[in-house]
Amino acid sequence: MESLKIRDLCKTYIINKRQNNVLKNVNMEIKEGEMVAVMGPSGSGKSTLLYTVSGMDHITAGRVDFFGKDLSSLNAKQMSDLRLDEMGFIFQQMYMLKNLSIYDNIILPAYQSKRGKGRENRKEINDRAKELMHKLGISEIAEHDINEVSGGQLQRACICRSLINNPKMIFADEPTGALNQQNSKEVMKELNRINREGTTVMLVTHDMKVAAKSDRVLYIEDGNIKGEFTLGKYTGKEETRERERKISNWLMEMGF
Amino acid sequence: MFFRILKKDLKRKKTMNVILLLFIILAAMFLSSSVDNLIAVNGAIDHFLEISKTPDFFTIALTEGKTDEIAEFLEDNENVSEYEIISTFNLINENVTITKCQEEPERTRYERTNTLCLEAVPENFMKVFQMDGSALSLKSGEIAFTKLEAEQNHLQVGDKVSIKIGELEREFTIAAVVKDAVFGSSMMGFKRLLVSEEDFAKFAEQEDLVHTQIYNVNYADEEKFKEQWQSRNFMVISTIEGKNTIRMCYVMDMLIAAILIIVSVCLILLAFLVLRFTIVFTLQEDYKEIGIMKAIGIKDMGIKGLYLIKYLGVSIAGAVIGFLLGFPFGKIILNQAIVNIVVDQAEQNFVINLVCAAAVVLIVLLFCYLSTNKLKKISAIEAIRNGSNGERYRVKNHLKLWKRTKMKPYFYIAVNDIMSSLRRFGILFVTFCLGTLLILLPLSATNTLKSDGIIGSFGLCPSDAYVDTGKGETYTVDMDLMFRDMEEIEEKLRENGMTAKTGADMGYMIPCYTDDPEDSVTYYILQAKGGWDRHYTLLSGNEPELSNEIMITEITAKELGVGIGDTIHFVTSGKTEEFIITGTYQSMMNMGQGYRVSSSARLDEKYAAGMLCLQVEIEGMESEEACEKLKEIFPEYKVMNVEGFLNIMIGGVIEQINTMMIFIVGIVLVINSLITILMMKTIMTKERGDIALLKSIGFTDHSLRAWQISRTLLVLAAAVITGTLLSNVLAPYTIGPIFAMMGATSIELKTNTMEACVLFPLLLFAVTGVSASICAGGVKKVDLKEVNNIE
Repeated sequence: MESLKIRDLCKTYIINKRQNNVLKNVNMEIKEGEMVAVMGPSGSGKSTLLYTVSGMDHITAGRVDFFGKDLSSLNAKQMSDLRLDEMGFIFQQMYMLKNLSIYDNIILPAYQSKRGKGRENRKEINDRAKELMHKLGISEIAEHDINEVSGGQLQRACICRSLINNPKMIFADEPTGALNQQNSKEVMKELNRINREGTTVMLVTHDMKVAAKSDRVLYIEDGNIKGEFTLGKYTGKEETRERERKISNWLMEMGF
Repeated sequence: MFFRILKKDLKRKKTMNVILLLFIILAAMFLSSSVDNLIAVNGAIDHFLEISKTPDFFTIALTEGKTDEIAEFLEDNENVSEYEIISTFNLINENVTITKCQEEPERTRYERTNTLCLEAVPENFMKVFQMDGSALSLKSGEIAFTKLEAEQNHLQVGDKVSIKIGELEREFTIAAVVKDAVFGSSMMGFKRLLVSEEDFAKFAEQEDLVHTQIYNVNYADEEKFKEQWQSRNFMVISTIEGKNTIRMCYVMDMLIAAILIIVSVCLILLAFLVLRFTIVFTLQEDYKEIGIMKAIGIKDMGIKGLYLIKYLGVSIAGAVIGFLLGFPFGKIILNQAIVNIVVDQAEQNFVINLVCAAAVVLIVLLFCYLSTNKLKKISAIEAIRNGSNGERYRVKNHLKLWKRTKMKPYFYIAVNDIMSSLRRFGILFVTFCLGTLLILLPLSATNTLKSDGIIGSFGLCPSDAYVDTGKGETYTVDMDLMFRDMEEIEEKLRENGMTAKTGADMGYMIPCYTDDPEDSVTYYILQAKGGWDRHYTLLSGNEPELSNEIMITEITAKELGVGIGDTIHFVTSGKTEEFIITGTYQSMMNMGQGYRVSSSARLDEKYAAGMLCLQVEIEGMESEEACEKLKEIFPEYKVMNVEGFLNIMIGGVIEQINTMMIFIVGIVLVINSLITILMMKTIMTKERGDIALLKSIGFTDHSLRAWQISRTLLVLAAAVITGTLLSNVLAPYTIGPIFAMMGATSIELKTNTMEACVLFPLLLFAVTGVSASICAGGVKKVDLKEVNNIE
């Protein structure tokens, strides 16, 4: 089954009375359990594609089906519920509420969801949050404030937050864009692990190392998907350099 | 480059700059109008008494064609610098008929509340003024009413009344409603209607009329004059010594002025708080940019200059608008609050408002300068790293979400926000708290005045009904008529199957002294007539029972330096009688002075000077029912319950405070709404990233609105609770002394729990809630994508 099925997706912005067609008739699919990276030059529409297919931005034309649901047919409330229960988001900026501790930021979406009501349910959420934090190796920063932790720790906390409601799909916009190499590695390790556990991942990146760890790479240019390159499942044991080299060659062929 | 940055800043941060401008306008408007009003109110009564030429001393006496002894006494008296005798005619209800009343066309009977006289427009002493403060002049056929008299009878300019004195009856058109400095206050028991000199002379041409004379005196030597005056023992209705006594009659207006001062001080305080908040807040917004400017080599002075110029421009624009709005705003506040006094407000207005507006500009620049001073201490990279607002985040959340097993997440975030940014929400808290106090303190005054037991604070005994037969003046000279009328009421009620008892309080003006007969002063002494076994609220001792016993108010006891067991001497018809003080009580009549003898005391009837209403007590009947029955059986009499009777006693003060309450509630609600909207807009501008993030993780617009609204309402709830508690603590120190000035030295302030704890808080919640929800609607406009543009 497709997690995401996109047909003739167009997105147009009007800036200073000038029409800017950012996405032009995009067609693509992402299968359940797949990890897909979107690459392309700056201004090619990578992030816009991520935001429109995740329902964070309205589409101008076309259709986006998320696990069979037509996103444009959902009202604001249904869209919020979908984002809360079935989607997870990771941003480049690792944004969290400043007045809340890391732990409270992580459990916030779960407490907001329908299953977050009642003492028993909340106990389960707390158990899951602790488990997630343990898995991602950030248990010790639970009660820390957001400026007291490193970028990598913060991004892993953001990943915990995005996973707290067991989403069907994770959307990640440059998840390692603000991190150093070591932290990037750790974050991608976690994303791969989540993906292996069954969560579909769509990420936007300009980093070859990140793209090399995905199953498939889409190349977008001038608002159109120009091509795709299938790498196969990343097992973690495989030599990543080889995957990187393949992508690099392919991208050069695509004119990147 | 410098101005290009500035231009870009003004354009890009439109919302914040508009909010800054609005806050500066508010601050300038509040500051200028409030300082203006403070100056106008301070000394307003002195100014009013001065321009009306209130005499140092005046006395009112009757003359029936005999030799005027007082005039002779004043003539060539070396201790008098100036005197004048004003002739008036005493009017009873039957003398005045309403022939045309626009507000209530069927009304013909005139209802006076106090002793009422007719006189010509005064030109020297005791002048009156029109409502706009201009001098009064009347043509023949015109009449002027004091504000209280006009309101009591629902009369307005253009209405017609007919006055009959002796055999002459004339119709007058009401040409003006006036402010009367000496007799206009609600506490003064003497009121006057004014006609032209020519019309008054026509009434006066009739022979054998009883004139009520007002003798106005300015001292040459106060002490010697008083000595002389006391030694002569003139028969007078009333004597007022000094402007202080008149000033005391304006205690209610002073209460209103005091509240106006509190309102003004609150507004000034608010203006400063708001200014500081806005400047710090808007500057924090620019922290990162400041860092970048530093990084590219712009000097601290250059950066400081940039912001100073920006704030100078915005503050000048705001101050000019605020300066212009300050005039109508200040005038509205002043005119709504001070209705009985001519306030001198025109002269300084312009200069004061200008100075205040300039002060706002300077304060803005000072705050800006001090805030930008921090620039020196931080490096460029620190400014950049600290993000958009320069805050160093510490672990601020005092609550743990995971510990809240039932709390909704949006509510938790709201509570946590408040606890994490106490300073930021403190301004809202202070605003709401001040508003609550401004409502609850005057409410405590009205609740106390309206409470059942208040009649005891007037030194009177309560009864089911109070009947004004309109013959009060006649009863003082014909007491038998009063007893006949009382018997008639009892008889007619008996015929209608009711058992009733009637009574009355008769007032006597009798010269008295404590030690030295030379120091005798005329006092107003009350005595219960007829009726039932009446009891009074005492502060100490016992009620007088024997014919030579008396009780006095605590204020009188202090003034005379006497106590229980001491003796007071009455001088009546050349004889001296001794009265032993058996107890003390309190009375809000006559500014706290009061004397009551037992009903068995034998006082000379010729000293009878005034009477309150007849009191009726019907067996087995509640007050309202008793009043209804009496109204049915005696349609010609005015029948009142306790509240109606008190309204006569304190002349519409309750209504005046009620009107002021409505005004204050209005002001508080407007300020609450304004500050709520502006604060929420400001905070939401800064929180766009948080809103976008919460949207992205699945918070609905509804939850986000609930978060924003509940935060404001939580602050309001805390402020209302604090305000209510504070009002209970502050009321005895603010409202209590005012009651004490009026004579109620030991009053228990009452609070209507329903009004104080339910009605007004609900009103505050409703209006603030509506403002907050309008503002919270803004979350809808926040684009989810903004989460990626967060610094």
